[in-house]
Amino acid sequence: MSALGHYLEEEGIATVAIALIRAQAENTKPPRALWVPFELGRPLGPPNDAAFQRRVLLAALNMLVGDGGPVRIIDFPEDDPRSQPDPAWQPPFMPGALVDGAVASLASRLEAEILLFHGAHQRWMAQYERSTVGLSGLAIVEAARYVADWLRGKAPASPRDGFSPPLILRFAVDDLKAYCLEAAGAGTAKPSSRQLGDWLWNETATGAALYALRDLLLTQEDDRLRLIVANFIVPAARARTG
Amino acid sequence: MTRLTDLPPGQAKRLAELECPDFETRPWVTGAALSRCRVAIVSSAGLVVRSDNPFRGRDPDYRRIPITTKKNELLCSHISINFDRTGFQEDWNVVFPLDRLNELAAETVIGSVAATHYSFMGATDPVQMEPHARELAGRLKADAVDAVVLTPV
Repeated sequence: MSALGHYLEEEGIATVAIALIRAQAENTKPPRALWVPFELGRPLGPPNDAAFQRRVLLAALNMLVGDGGPVRIIDFPEDDPRSQPDPAWQPPFMPGALVDGAVASLASRLEAEILLFHGAHQRWMAQYERSTVGLSGLAIVEAARYVADWLRGKAPASPRDGFSPPLILRFAVDDLKAYCLEAAGAGTAKPSSRQLGDWLWNETATGAALYALRDLLLTQEDDRLRLIVANFIVPAARARTG
Repeated sequence: MTRLTDLPPGQAKRLAELECPDFETRPWVTGAALSRCRVAIVSSAGLVVRSDNPFRGRDPDYRRIPITTKKNELLCSHISINFDRTGFQEDWNVVFPLDRLNELAAETVIGSVAATHYSFMGATDPVQMEPHARELAGRLKADAVDAVVLTPV
């Protein structure tokens, strides 16, 4: 962000960056930065809180007026109220047979779970009129089948021209995670991202399947595949060692 | 939630100490009065319109996001999976505050909102991004943009 700000200012356009990591802003020295104390991924703060987001945006825009630079960093004074867990949140219902089963059945349980979440995801779509599923270009059941086939040891060909199998695998995994998290977010409760992440990685067949997929593919000889699997399936904060 | 302190120490250190070119100049463009400013969003979140090609890795170029883009058409193809995406899933304004900008323009707090917004892939080497950023500046000026809000993830 800081380099982009530098290039655009050199070309005559005023910039203000929102910064999520204060030490990074101090190190990279953007022309102007508003540091916000929110979690990574939420530069404007809480979702669907227009008043809060407006305060963040205005604090940033107001830095464009007047002097004080170059290199001016201001701290936003409020924290994100949605970072707190909502005790009223309940995850989608899942039969025990889906969650508790043999590792050998994970691929099938992953596919079954994605089908099971269809209703909850439809409710999400009706509620928010939006989904971030779609990077792979596959229908969600096709994405589930593609990932499951990798877990079955099939190394399936890419179903999309111009996209290598490891790249489609990465995007299909992104789609599955988005689908599950959106399904789990349907309803009136306001779960924190930690609640949703704990559920996905600790309580679903999809999470268990992605852990197993990572372990399985890290043993492959394909360097590109191992790179993708090591870094782009399980978040670093959720990775299990040993 | 994913804050810097939630990440493994090595990765947190890499993010905090992210290298940036050691620029010889420190440019500073004095902004116009906000009520006259035409504002664009430039994100580093790897955002892409659903019909466009997603970022595949550390691509140095950018994607266009026209103001007419609907909220169901914007995806995040950032290469990193180590930041929260559930906020963006629920509300695109968490990363791409187009609705908030439109409201501020309607209230004449800002002058207007750019016709097109843009996204880079933030994990890319800034040196490789430079020619694309300078080319983007030309597009922004052609749209009479005075100011840019840079939004990360």
